[in-house]
Amino acid sequence: MTARVAKVFSEVLGVSAEQISDETSPDNTPQWDSMAAMTLVVAIEDEFDVTLSTAEIISMRNVEIVRKVLRTKGVADA
Amino acid sequence: MSEPMAPAYAGDVAGRAAAIEAKKAWRDHVSGAAGRAPALRVGLAASFTADTLVPFIGAALLTADTVAEFKVGPYNQLFQTCLDPQASFGGPCDVIVLLWRVEDLMLDEITGFLSGDAEALSRARAKLASLAAAIRQLRGGFPGMVVVGVPPYPTGGAASLLSLDNAGGLGGFHRTLAGEFVDEIGRIEGVSVVDLDAVQRQAGFAASFDPRKWYLYRQPFSDAFLHTAGRQLGRIIMASRRAAKKCVVLDADNTLWGGIVGEDGIDGIQIGDEFPGSAYRDFHKLLLSWRARGVLLAVASKNNEADVWEVFDRHSGMVLRREHLSAWQINWQPKAEGIPLIARALNIGTDSLVFIDDNPMEVAYMRDALPEVTSILLPSEPADIVSTLQALTLFDQLEVTDEDRKRADMMRAERDREVLGAQINHTDFLQALDLRIDLFNARTEDLGRITQLINKTNQFNLTTIRRTLDEVRELAGSSDFRLYGLRVTDKFGEYGLTGVIIARISTDRRRWTLDTLLLSCRVLGRGVETALIGALADDARAVGAVEFAASFIPTAKNALSASFLPDQGFSRVGEQEWHLDLSEAPAIPPHIERAVAEGVTGRGFAAEAFETRLSAVAGQ
Repeated sequence: MTARVAKVFSEVLGVSAEQISDETSPDNTPQWDSMAAMTLVVAIEDEFDVTLSTAEIISMRNVEIVRKVLRTKGVADA
Repeated sequence: MSEPMAPAYAGDVAGRAAAIEAKKAWRDHVSGAAGRAPALRVGLAASFTADTLVPFIGAALLTADTVAEFKVGPYNQLFQTCLDPQASFGGPCDVIVLLWRVEDLMLDEITGFLSGDAEALSRARAKLASLAAAIRQLRGGFPGMVVVGVPPYPTGGAASLLSLDNAGGLGGFHRTLAGEFVDEIGRIEGVSVVDLDAVQRQAGFAASFDPRKWYLYRQPFSDAFLHTAGRQLGRIIMASRRAAKKCVVLDADNTLWGGIVGEDGIDGIQIGDEFPGSAYRDFHKLLLSWRARGVLLAVASKNNEADVWEVFDRHSGMVLRREHLSAWQINWQPKAEGIPLIARALNIGTDSLVFIDDNPMEVAYMRDALPEVTSILLPSEPADIVSTLQALTLFDQLEVTDEDRKRADMMRAERDREVLGAQINHTDFLQALDLRIDLFNARTEDLGRITQLINKTNQFNLTTIRRTLDEVRELAGSSDFRLYGLRVTDKFGEYGLTGVIIARISTDRRRWTLDTLLLSCRVLGRGVETALIGALADDARAVGAVEFAASFIPTAKNALSASFLPDQGFSRVGEQEWHLDLSEAPAIPPHIERAVAEGVTGRGFAAEAFETRLSAVAGQ
């Protein structure tokens, strides 16, 4: 877990950075509701200066997948 | 094959950074807001998912020191919300915001209209009328503020840049509906309007729509659009809660025109059709548009009053005229003293005033002396003046009444012309300024600026003797003269080389005759004139002089300096001649410190050292 990824999720979801892991997902994190999902997309794009496709957005069901998507987009420290 | 362009909804760099900043401000507030009771409860309902607008409205209100709490009603249930807002928002609200898009409410009608269905437009109009009726019902039963949105241009589907301008296509459909909606709302008293159509234009049509979020979340807008919309809503909401400023007090030189009338003359200032005069003229038009809404206009200028009126009354380029002004203070007193007099003359509080000046020092002084006055620094780029000041929200008010429109004229008619004796206690203010003067023997590198001052200073100039650079250089090298420059600094910064004294020394070295004494008007007052004579007297005594001789030669422009010699203790010995015994010379006032410049003793220095330095520089 990189600090940048943990920071984005912790800020948007309102949970501490230590609580963010690769397994963090809407299933185990009640704060990750549909509103948070929408906010997360923009926050991730802002932080890593990327544009996510709808396919990528739909695929991002946990933090690990988000990190994989970011790495395929050339983000080194995801 | 070339890379596809980045989608417009990604936004531009600056806009994106500002949006991120706003969202962060709101997030920080929410995470730390536990103890802060909201001053305002805002209910937000829209024909689309509006949750993402909340941080932007919230952040905009925070910048106006207002903490709001938001309740977002269920998506696309505007009619239900109007009929029962309590139920939609789960509790009472102070402000209800209703936003809608044509394509959310009237998609079938749009499709029909574009495929030639002659009835489609009237069906859309019927829907519009029922929406207006629902809003009317909400207004009737809800005591708070109601803000409704003008729908933006439809996006996605049939919308394209070509269709934007198509009177018979989507462009015409949207224009008709949006226009009729504004008319309908205008007939309901007490409903405010946020023009999302204009917001979309401001953010850019293509940059406003984020199709990904629309398909995934029924949330059609980019952050660029939401940020602009949030700021606009914040502005509208604040306008209903904060008393608008009542009067704008304007500097004259380099604010209402380019240049300095006292120095450049009425023919030398810039105001009229040609840039930069045109930028100042457009500023006048903006001021008159404020005046038409009830904002009073006043002038606070350090000037000869007659010079300023000559511009107002005679200059053909002036759009703003004397009769537009409700009050003025045109003199050489500190503006922090004049402005309360303006407020008293207009019978308003100083906290209702906005002060606009091009001089950072004046603005800093005003913020220090009268923090309740909103002091604004005019942009130094003339082309930016109007666009910057148009963005001011200070005069925002939601409804402009006939009385507002007439106020400026009424105040003008009743303007109280009595001389107001009230003066501010200025001693503490002066002490806090950390005023320093540096009266120094001029060096070669100063001679250019000194010559410039000698040839252009009109107002504070005892003799108005003009000299060429060669003459000044020769005089600087002569042991029969002392050539001084003056710098003034205070805690707000440095005023630069702003004064010149040329003293001719008698053969017996006992008398210094003030051939030239001039000061830039920027540094007048606050005891600087006395400090100048005090410092000069120190230097003169140190080399054995016992008296000053001076003359005051009146011109059309230098009335300002007429009282200088008697004020400093000189006595009159002839038609224009004055005399001061150095044992009676004033001391430097206690609130002013004399700086000792590097390599200069502060008590004068040997003429030969000065000449050596001069020739060394000249030989380079």
